[in-house]
Amino acid sequence: MLEVAQNLGLGFSVALSPAVLFYAFIGCVIGTLVGVLPGVGPLAGISLLLPATFGMDATRAIVMLAGIYYGAMYGGSTTSILMRIPGEAASVMTCIDGYAMARKGRAGAALAIAAVGSYVAGTASVVGLMVMAPPLAQWALRFGPPEQLALLLLGLLVLAYMSSGSMLKALAMAALGLLLGTVGIDQMTGYMRHAYGVVELGDGLGVVPVAVGLFGVAEILATAGAPTPPAVIRPRLSELLPSRQEWRDSAWPIGRGSVLGFLIGILPGSAHIIASFVSYAVEKRLSRRPQDFGHGAVAGVAGPESANNAATSGAFVPMLALGVPSGPIPAVMLAALMVHGVAPGPLLIHNQPALFWGFIASMYVGNVMLLILNLPLVGLFVNILRVPYPYLYPAILVFSILGVYAVNASVVDVWIMLVMGVLGYVLRKLDFETAPIVLGVVLAPLIELSLRQSLAMSDGRYSIFLEHRIAAALLAFGLALVLLNLYTFVRRGLDWRARLALAGKGDSS
Amino acid sequence: MMQRLAPLVVLALAAAIAPATAQEAYPNRPITMVVPFPPGGVADLTARPVAAAMEKVLKNPVGVVNKQGAAGAVGMQSVAVAKPDGYTLLLALSSISIIPEADKLFNRPPAFTVDQFAPIALISADPTILVVPADKPWKTAKDFIDDARKRPGQISYSSSGIYGTLHMAMELLSQAAGIKLRHVPHAGAGPALTAILGGHVDALASGPAVVLPHIKAGKLRALAGWGDQRIAALPDVPTFKELGYPEAEFYIWAGVFAPKATPEPVLARLRATVREAVNDPEFKAAMDKLETPVTFKQGDEFQRFFEADARRLAEGVRRVGRVETR
Repeated sequence: MLEVAQNLGLGFSVALSPAVLFYAFIGCVIGTLVGVLPGVGPLAGISLLLPATFGMDATRAIVMLAGIYYGAMYGGSTTSILMRIPGEAASVMTCIDGYAMARKGRAGAALAIAAVGSYVAGTASVVGLMVMAPPLAQWALRFGPPEQLALLLLGLLVLAYMSSGSMLKALAMAALGLLLGTVGIDQMTGYMRHAYGVVELGDGLGVVPVAVGLFGVAEILATAGAPTPPAVIRPRLSELLPSRQEWRDSAWPIGRGSVLGFLIGILPGSAHIIASFVSYAVEKRLSRRPQDFGHGAVAGVAGPESANNAATSGAFVPMLALGVPSGPIPAVMLAALMVHGVAPGPLLIHNQPALFWGFIASMYVGNVMLLILNLPLVGLFVNILRVPYPYLYPAILVFSILGVYAVNASVVDVWIMLVMGVLGYVLRKLDFETAPIVLGVVLAPLIELSLRQSLAMSDGRYSIFLEHRIAAALLAFGLALVLLNLYTFVRRGLDWRARLALAGKGDSS
Repeated sequence: MMQRLAPLVVLALAAAIAPATAQEAYPNRPITMVVPFPPGGVADLTARPVAAAMEKVLKNPVGVVNKQGAAGAVGMQSVAVAKPDGYTLLLALSSISIIPEADKLFNRPPAFTVDQFAPIALISADPTILVVPADKPWKTAKDFIDDARKRPGQISYSSSGIYGTLHMAMELLSQAAGIKLRHVPHAGAGPALTAILGGHVDALASGPAVVLPHIKAGKLRALAGWGDQRIAALPDVPTFKELGYPEAEFYIWAGVFAPKATPEPVLARLRATVREAVNDPEFKAAMDKLETPVTFKQGDEFQRFFEADARRLAEGVRRVGRVETR
């Protein structure tokens, strides 16, 4: 423990030096902006700024890039809550209850809870990163394709808890999402699937254009098509802060979201978006009033927003401790280190203590900065709601198109977003929820790849899922969940016809 | 601000409407270097110092644009059909020769063909090396190959993706040594490395820079290299050529290309520029930090290298064939 304290002292001496402090601040500001702008996410932001870091020293570069990464998680909630447009992909779940809160005049409270939740999760997970990085990284490496598949299947079960309306409709949307997720080059054989000669579809449908289309564009279309424009909400200053009850309702979700997000973030290959999905489902499952979810439950904002922030620190664990990327963003950051001649690998912590501990300390500092930066912004951002819709929505549409285009400089992505927007509009009119589609698009390629990789590893024997103990345990857990639900289902509702009729009306699950 | 920009705007407009004069004074406006891969990858990290050094010689900005997608096909295709005026260049990796062959294999219209490009210069050619987890019994490449002969299809390896560079390297070795390995494709070189570090596969062909830290840390063991010569950083690791498998030769190389129809004077100017750029001390320092040795070739020499490499890879892709489901 003494050693950690000493190292942390070294870290803070680096992190609090004016130059490093300055770059951490710049990173946090850019991250918040990148998060607020729809379409542009942390990956695009970091990629665009990577060349700018080539002239800096390695510590400053990595501190700034990390600031963009976790800063984006703070900013991402803003447009989700105010306008139902995910600022970046991991904020999709915040759109549901955050926006519902905003419609009830609780936008300020939702934003404040999101910021505080992000702060708590960010700080707590840095502690995890600091104390447990090397052993956790070794543990994460044991998650190979079979373990990953088991975890993802468990994630699919999450779907059952995501919908506030009809289960049947939610499953139909999930199936649609899974089908959309099969577009692109088949990773195992090289076949192009459903690409119709469009080379750009080779990588499949990106999460960002799909999410911005289904949520943002669809919302704009729905508002434009409404017979009477929705009333402009004028937030009062006294309503900006969360009430005592709202704080109480978010305390546990923030705690659980932090732990869940951190653990999921560590695993190679899984994204923060999955962390926020899982957190949402867990909160809904544990809530005493699950019927509130979808209609402005504060836990539905607090949990996912904390989870996606904690996942960023989790993603740094394998990157710093072992030099392996757990996703595309850590991969870019590893490249930033290599450009400076710092070889990322298992010896990094040992060879570059100033860099490692400076980085850790800068994350404590950065999270404080972001909280100070974001809380006053709440008062500013809610005023966006005062802008009349005829001015606000066209502007948002322009920003969405620019943002989605900027990520890959791809017009095809813009078309995907627009098509998804129309699809989302039609589905909303038919009373379908679109979040399961996004989950399907995220999970389908991962599930397929990990299943087929597992079978390639075992030469086609399915017994590999039983031989790998972690995978077998996860699958058994999933099976138990299903059986448990079946049991209550059978015991409770023998009259399934009545239940189905209720489900069809959309007020039971 | 606007007033200061005005002359620039006029210049840009003049350049746009007067292509005839633009050709004489090449270059007189910013040049775009397309990198068909995401930022932070080998191609991107090579392109940026090259572009910076070329900028100094050409006295015109050379901007790097990442146009990723479909394993590089999107960006390569965009340059193949770009206006051949020398203002759109491509920094490509070995996969430029593989993608059209894979398209052929599946009878689909190719995204582009190799002869749509005029090679300008080779910047680097890093041989892949064969690594295995340090706790595996194979101490030498001979142990590995002998064991693979005994147990065909039992030893597994990860790759950056089917028909990807890391897959082709292993495939060339398998063909040269007459062995059969079990292929577990991953979505990129990063996940492929994670897989071997986690012990989920038995072997990996990788660029040296990425695995060197793990070799030094005692997690991985290098058995042999695919190069013509041994790697400077690993002088004790033999090449497959020394071991009697000359066909197992493979490099992850990076080269600069222009669209085929680019006029000869412009190509000549570009060749001279890159020749000067690779001798730039800042460029050399940047490549040193990446632990990527510069292998400069141009003209006939690059053409011969490029063709020999493309032939080997085309043969490799054909021998792999389509993966049919059982």
